[in-house]
Amino acid sequence: MEQAGLIAIGKGIAYGLAAIGPGLGIGIVGGKALESMARQPEMAGKLQTTMFIAIAFTEALALLGFVLTFLMG
Amino acid sequence: MEFKELLSEKIAELLHELSVLPFNTLESHGPVTSAGVLTNYTSWLIIAFVIVSAMFIATANASKKRLAIATESGKVTDLAPAGRLMGMMEMGVQFIRDMASDVIGEKDGPKYVSLLGTFFFLTLVSNMLGLIPGGKSFAGSMGGTTALALASWIIFVVVGFTKNGFIGYFKSLIPSGVREMPLFGRLVLGGYLFLLEFLSTFFIRPLTLAVRLFANMYAGHIVLGIFAAFVSMFWPFVQPALNASIGGIAVGAVSLLFLIIMYAFEVFVAFIQAYVFTILTAVYIQSSVHASEH
Repeated sequence: MEQAGLIAIGKGIAYGLAAIGPGLGIGIVGGKALESMARQPEMAGKLQTTMFIAIAFTEALALLGFVLTFLMG
Repeated sequence: MEFKELLSEKIAELLHELSVLPFNTLESHGPVTSAGVLTNYTSWLIIAFVIVSAMFIATANASKKRLAIATESGKVTDLAPAGRLMGMMEMGVQFIRDMASDVIGEKDGPKYVSLLGTFFFLTLVSNMLGLIPGGKSFAGSMGGTTALALASWIIFVVVGFTKNGFIGYFKSLIPSGVREMPLFGRLVLGGYLFLLEFLSTFFIRPLTLAVRLFANMYAGHIVLGIFAAFVSMFWPFVQPALNASIGGIAVGAVSLLFLIIMYAFEVFVAFIQAYVFTILTAVYIQSSVHASEH
């Protein structure tokens, strides 16, 4: 029972910590992309493409934490 | 039953359903332990393969017919795609061709259109099939995404070696400005950058390609399964509901609403992950092809 409790605490800490960085990162990159699209609307297509690539890079780290949570214990 | 026990039982059942199971029995008994067994993931991959092949072969036949009509009549306008299937596939292939030309360059881009198109359409159709209840996307298993990421990695490394030579590719990992510095700068900065770029090119890129696709698909299915488990616990369908009062029905209704919203989001994520895998492969190929300009 003690081990099950510790595993649960570990899962919570793992995903909680893993979500901080990508959350901030995606917010920053999304905000910058929005700002740039407002400054120069004709570049909107290219900016949107690059934004999706950047979001995918940072989101991968958060999801890695999420999946490791399920693989624990 | 108690809420905790029922929930953990349903989560265990969900994780069992999402694991790689042999296909020969309707009640699957456990993980696959030998190679060459038809599993639930590979059978859905075969279905996706058949769908994608059928679409493209039909389009190829239709365009051959248009070519025959055009050579007979001599009019250039007869070469244009006609009909719904050709129009739809024209949009898809144009999408991939524009991506290849924009990212890899005008000269080398068109050579990689078939590769990128294969990655994109197979992953897209397979992810969409995985959203059907009971359907599986090959990206939802670590084996499937590892295979695809390995293919992508081998291709961009081999392209780098053939275009730049064996030593030339390793030399291009260090930027040209650093290569012209005096000896101390070359050793320290160049060594550090070489280590970083080597790790990135040979280890981080294939690993993150595989894990990104797997984690997105697997996590999405788990979230959908958990919301569905909540609905099945609080709304009486096959088993008596946990709390057959207004509160219980309300919890079931909220879970159903979240389930529908997450389903829409999962369709979006399926498309985005296929697109991101393809465009990252294109970016890696571009950095291999244009390595001499680093």
